[in-house]
Amino acid sequence: MQKQYRLLYDENLCIGCQACSVACRMENSVPDNVYRVQVHMKTLGVFPNLGMQYERHSCVMCENPPCVSVCPTNASFQSKDGLVHIDEKSCISCKYCILACPYHARFINPLKNVVEKCTFCYETRVSKELLPACVSTCPTDALSFGDMRQKESLVHQKSHKEVLVFPKAHLGTKPKVAFIPNRKGIKS
Amino acid sequence: MVYLQARRDFLKIATTGVSASVLIPGSLGALGNVALKGEDKFIRSVCEMCSSRCPMEARVVNGKTVLIQGNSFAKEMGTSLCAKGVAGASQLYDSQRLVTPLIRAGKRGENKWREASWDEALSLISTKLSALKERYGARSVIFSAKTGEQYDLLRSFASAFGSPNVFSHWSSCPIAIESAFAHTFGEKLHRDFENSRYILNFGHNLFEGLDIPLTKAMAHFSANPSKKLVVCDPRFSIIASKADEWHPIKAGSDLAFILSLLHVWIRDGKYDKRFVDEYTIGFDQLSDAIKEATPQWQQTLTGIDAKVVERIAAEMYAAAPRCIIDWGHKATTTKAEFQRTRAILIANILMGNVEKEGGIFFAKTAERINTLACEKVVPELSDPYPRPRINEPRIDGAGEEGAHRFVSRSHGVLQAIPDAILAQKPYEIKGWFLTRHNPLVTVAHPQKMKEAMEQLEFIVVNDVYLSDTAMMADVVLPEATYLERDEGISKNAFKTPTYTMRNRIVQPINQTKSLIEIIRDLAERMGFGSHYAWKTIAELRAFQAKGDAELLQTLLMRGVASFDVPPLLALCASSVERFCERYPRSHVSKDAQGLFSHMLRSLKTPSGKIEIFSAEIEKAFKGYGVPRAVDMDVMQGHPYVLTSGKSAVHTNGHTQNIPYLSMLLSTNPIWMHPVTAKEHGLKMGDTFYLQNAISKEKATVFITEGIRPDTLFAYMGFGRDAPELKRTHGKGTNPSKLLSLESATLCGAMITNVGVNIVKA
Amino acid sequence: MSPMWGSVEQYEMVHWSWAIAIYLFLAGLSSGSIIVALLVKWNRHERSNSSIWDAMIKAGAVVAPTAIFLGLLLLVVDLGRPLSFYWLLIRYNITSVMSLGVLFLLIYTPIVMVFMLLVFERSVIKHPFLTPLESLIALVKSFHSYAKIIEYFLFGAALCIGSYTGFLLSALYAIPLWNSPLLPIVFLTSSLSSGVAVNILIGLLFFKSTINTESIKYLLVLDTRVILTELPLLGLFFIGLFYAGGDAPNAAKMALTQGFWAGIFWLGVIGVGLGLPLLTVIIALRSHVYRVGYVVINSMVVILGVLMLRYYIIYAGQIYLG
Repeated sequence: MQKQYRLLYDENLCIGCQACSVACRMENSVPDNVYRVQVHMKTLGVFPNLGMQYERHSCVMCENPPCVSVCPTNASFQSKDGLVHIDEKSCISCKYCILACPYHARFINPLKNVVEKCTFCYETRVSKELLPACVSTCPTDALSFGDMRQKESLVHQKSHKEVLVFPKAHLGTKPKVAFIPNRKGIKS
Repeated sequence: MVYLQARRDFLKIATTGVSASVLIPGSLGALGNVALKGEDKFIRSVCEMCSSRCPMEARVVNGKTVLIQGNSFAKEMGTSLCAKGVAGASQLYDSQRLVTPLIRAGKRGENKWREASWDEALSLISTKLSALKERYGARSVIFSAKTGEQYDLLRSFASAFGSPNVFSHWSSCPIAIESAFAHTFGEKLHRDFENSRYILNFGHNLFEGLDIPLTKAMAHFSANPSKKLVVCDPRFSIIASKADEWHPIKAGSDLAFILSLLHVWIRDGKYDKRFVDEYTIGFDQLSDAIKEATPQWQQTLTGIDAKVVERIAAEMYAAAPRCIIDWGHKATTTKAEFQRTRAILIANILMGNVEKEGGIFFAKTAERINTLACEKVVPELSDPYPRPRINEPRIDGAGEEGAHRFVSRSHGVLQAIPDAILAQKPYEIKGWFLTRHNPLVTVAHPQKMKEAMEQLEFIVVNDVYLSDTAMMADVVLPEATYLERDEGISKNAFKTPTYTMRNRIVQPINQTKSLIEIIRDLAERMGFGSHYAWKTIAELRAFQAKGDAELLQTLLMRGVASFDVPPLLALCASSVERFCERYPRSHVSKDAQGLFSHMLRSLKTPSGKIEIFSAEIEKAFKGYGVPRAVDMDVMQGHPYVLTSGKSAVHTNGHTQNIPYLSMLLSTNPIWMHPVTAKEHGLKMGDTFYLQNAISKEKATVFITEGIRPDTLFAYMGFGRDAPELKRTHGKGTNPSKLLSLESATLCGAMITNVGVNIVKA
Repeated sequence: MSPMWGSVEQYEMVHWSWAIAIYLFLAGLSSGSIIVALLVKWNRHERSNSSIWDAMIKAGAVVAPTAIFLGLLLLVVDLGRPLSFYWLLIRYNITSVMSLGVLFLLIYTPIVMVFMLLVFERSVIKHPFLTPLESLIALVKSFHSYAKIIEYFLFGAALCIGSYTGFLLSALYAIPLWNSPLLPIVFLTSSLSSGVAVNILIGLLFFKSTINTESIKYLLVLDTRVILTELPLLGLFFIGLFYAGGDAPNAAKMALTQGFWAGIFWLGVIGVGLGLPLLTVIIALRSHVYRVGYVVINSMVVILGVLMLRYYIIYAGQIYLG
């Protein structure tokens, strides 16, 4: 049965502690000073009516990935599980996909000189039915990951209980990562 | 081969040029390529990237890195771990980390060292310490460390050596809280965040000073729409951003707010009268003391509207007993810290939340459980670190008549050290042994502390890095990192008793040693090895566990041992019933209401009850027997107050040089409100000076709406004077340099809210 | 909240820089130059003074292949992994404009080379040091009968090259400044104007025998016509962005008013590249002063303007994301 992966990022639980960022770095040997995932925070409003926006920046594994349609060598490709991977062999590092990604999720790995991005830890974890490093490390359970086709999965339950926002949904990319928006404080 | 190449690449990337790190004497970088030995399966242990000491598990992958996550055998952890915990390998492999003992070769603080063998270093230490004891008496040597297993170990060594001058970090951190609890309840209590419905928080920032089980519980609490979190903090911190209500309270004025809450409750009779009558003494004195503490009065001090106090008092009472007024862990302190914390504890008492679900509770230690159950449910441990009392006065007067009368002799007042050394009063002080301690970063007025250290004859520092304090040492010992250490069994008691044990994940690089091995070796060399009933760590563990092989096996395999004891709350009938069902012999301890109320009647307080008013305090410090409005002025004539705090990616003064963490946050620009910045013509990123009577420190501006206009904020641990910490040396501002060595009244706490001026560059 | 998440450099990097800007310019120059050369070839009258027209055809035949070769070289060298460029030739993705571009270039480049050889047939035969190419000439001569078809193919391929560079950028909806259907037209028009200018320039400098005032006047007018097409197109392009949704209006506003690149646009692209030639032509036409010098400088200025347009679009697109 084909999988329908979803990763939920709950802005209400996220505290911006960057544990996900460091866990990802360790798991995937990400080179220094480049990031597969980062959480940004922004203080909104005017004192004392304030809010804090938390935003996870990483690949959102689009179902209609612009990075795949622009890759001239098919080094950026979509597996039948719907995940977008990078074939390092045939990546010529033309950077078209980096420009094509509306989420600015891709970057050049300075050691290997190929394009890199979050892979949902597919090789080391998800392919072995484990959770991605960021999801299992998060101190506040802000991340949940699973197969939407499994009705008992946490992602399925949460998706039906919470308000979901799909980032840049208007672009038609149909991301697999969805946010549960902040309920507290000033929001814009 | 692949591993070695990867290591070389790693070292190249991780350092600011290979040559730079190779030049650091005693460093890992100076060693060149080092093989790593460890196993590719999870070993369970305990983290030490901060002192929350969360249970974790780790495995070595491809000989290249250590993957670390939470130890899910500790159910409240799951696999969660914070950024620092996960970055453990980044410290393990840091080429700037110390792996060889160093002996000072130039002047003190000159940063000239020669590498030495462990034998030479330990021999030198034992010789010098013995010489100091011979000449000036054992009391002339100070011993300091952060609390935990290593402090108990250090104290036992100091005891055997004969010195009473043992200092923990408490006076720079939780001493006010510990002291307030000791005088009120006789011991410290814990918070049931999970089951609570309403939490009033005074800056307890669990989202930047993480403790995984507490952080997780607080995150779920704040995300729960049916629960309410109110945060009072001059800064819009992460936890403030998760609150339902954030009140930008004026720094230092928490006490006023709490007193007015007490006032409202007492005025309206809206507090748990039965609980107060049955279990406490001193209510009348309290009632008297808060007569003038009206919501209108507090408004002038805190800036929070009187109506807010009225409303919160009502809401909290409606939620009681499932409410908590959170005393925090270490917020920025004032001179009134003792009174503030006492007021918070009393607020909880008035809400009657003690030993109830969603409230606060006594630690259910093995001893307590076994006594209640009338059977040996949980194995009890022996103490492997005997520390007989040394009957000599300490240099800080702790436990003696005077200002520090109520400060524990086991912890002391760090702020008293510089003056004592400089004046050589009450007697000569000549040596200092530090481990897991960096007072030149974390204690007030490090300039004076450094001056005092210059006067000492012998300083030993046991650390992972050549820290600011280590720079002043005569001998620097490179302790093995926590990933390389086997240690004893630690007790953790919250709603149930558990034990944890640190198990080595990786063979110590370059044969670095743990403090246990160091101290045991020194004790042997100095002739008091027989003080200890064990020689090796294996023997230590066996001794602690009283030979309980099953317990040891569990701790070796799982890192954590729990005993399926049902969580117990003495004043919660259902909880008591469940406990009695499991342990039938405990039925006898139940009172007529089916509660274990006796637990609250024989406390370690003078009266045996909960003391709202403390007669012994009142006798020694008039007016302090019950919380009163005192000592709330933190500005001291300055227009601004500088506050400080933790960041989620760093621990105090420990982690700033670690590659993966330094990458995330490498400096601490000072938070400043736009109006304040404009008044001084400052823009984002501008350089300016913070100035007061103590010092003038360079700083950088960070303009944000998230802070009161009269307040400034700095993440602590930056502004380092440690040239061998190449990634962090000289970056940012050290707020400690602006703090005075004054202590908070009665408890001896360091005062970290400080008045400053803003001076243009 | 003060930043504690690490460097954000990777999000702010300009990934396609000078090499790509120059490539786009060279591809446009090549295609524009050959299109103009072909149009001139097809439409010239035998009776008229043929020297300048011949010169323009010859210029096209030299500039087009040279420009495309230089461009391709730049492209390969600019790749993060230049030695892996062969993957472009063995793997294709029809949804990728870049991959389609590779196909177009595979067709265009050999044909433009053939065209060059055809145009310079006589010169090749004349110069002894080009004798190694004689076998090639023989081959080329055999193409002679197909010359017309080859030229039509070439024209089609050149149109593809001239417009694909625009589609390359406009296909990226993540970059508001590029994501306009007008961009390919702007690029094509701009390519044609650079083609006219370069053919005039090279033709006048290297291939003319005689030139008369009538021709010069005609060339200046031709220049003007192209400029007068480009200006409104650029205007429409930006107006289109202002009326588009999402980040486009903001990006367009910032790109026209903020920073170094806004200056490049107004001073370089509009001022020097379009305004100055227009002014020169008007003055020249008014005062009836037709000097060869004016034409040469005019052409250089137009080419510079086209280069700056490519630079501007490439950089401003990546910097001003709205």
